Amino acid sequence: MVPVFGFAANITVGDHVTGKVLGLTLNLDTVWATGAALAIVIVLAALLRRQVARGRPGRLQVIFEALVEVVTRQVEGSIGEAGRAIVPLAISLFVFIFICNCFEQVGLGSHFEWLAAPTGDINLTLAMALFVIVLVHVASIRSRGLGGYVRHYLFQPFPPVLLPFNLFINVVEEVAKPITLALRLFGNLLSGTLMLSLIAALGAWKLSGAPVGDVVIVIINPIWKLFDLFIAGIQAFIFALLTVIYFDTAMSSAHGDGRRHERAGAGATTEPLSS
Amino acid sequence: MAHDTTQQAIQLAGAMVGGGLALGGGAVGAAIGDGLAGSQTIAGVARQPEAQSRLFTIMFLTVGLVEAMYFINLAFTALFIFSLYKK
Repeated sequence: MVPVFGFAANITVGDHVTGKVLGLTLNLDTVWATGAALAIVIVLAALLRRQVARGRPGRLQVIFEALVEVVTRQVEGSIGEAGRAIVPLAISLFVFIFICNCFEQVGLGSHFEWLAAPTGDINLTLAMALFVIVLVHVASIRSRGLGGYVRHYLFQPFPPVLLPFNLFINVVEEVAKPITLALRLFGNLLSGTLMLSLIAALGAWKLSGAPVGDVVIVIINPIWKLFDLFIAGIQAFIFALLTVIYFDTAMSSAHGDGRRHERAGAGATTEPLSS
Repeated sequence: MAHDTTQQAIQLAGAMVGGGLALGGGAVGAAIGDGLAGSQTIAGVARQPEAQSRLFTIMFLTVGLVEAMYFINLAFTALFIFSLYKK
């Protein structure tokens, strides 16, 4: 390994425990961390179901109902009634990605992590982004018809005389969507993991025998993890929100703007300031 | 053998400089973008204090999208330094 930093001779990026299945190489640590995240999501769902069945809303149910309401309001404000099917997808993505990102909190920055954040592996984020984009294209074809779908790529945003230019712009946009969706989540989580490794590497810093580096680690590690928790929430929210927005732009028809109504935001007024 | 070392050195130097440029440009862009989003939020809250929660939501959304550019650059820098440079 290249000794990149003075103290941190062991920092590697993209090192995974691999295994071979049917000739394909899998990143096993991502697989088992994803399995752990799935188990947590399923346990949460079972707990929620038990609370709902009991009749009296508990805290978990209140939180989930607020989440469902926010997402439903967002989706119905943009797509309308057809968006009902997207709400479960958006909520699942948000909860799953948030739990995956939270695995960062138990990391120590060592070379081998028992529970590394699986969204820090480009394979998982790319798979999720491709899955979402394929669904978006399928929904677009179903909502506009095959003719409308092709017309969308050829005849807008510029007049049809500029057809090759239209095609180029639209294809670039459609290719950029899954790539940025995947890389955004991956980059954020990668930086979190890398930062933990760097902070752990500070442990080698000693001032004439006194372990100054260890003290610095104990102080900086929680501060970074607090910030990383914030980033975890925001990136999960952005992934789910962008999914909804991509569905919206893919399913809107030429006269779709007539269906949009003013969204009533919470706590906002539109009265001008009275002098 | 000596040619090999020289080539490795050039590759490493190139990877470092390229990574540094990517990080630097990304950091400047992200900082300016975050600053613009924050300044507009402050102006909006100053005009309409009741809209604070809505504006904060939009601001954090924008910050998340702007910082994404920086983190994509970071991912590519890590790619250059750790993967494209082969020992």
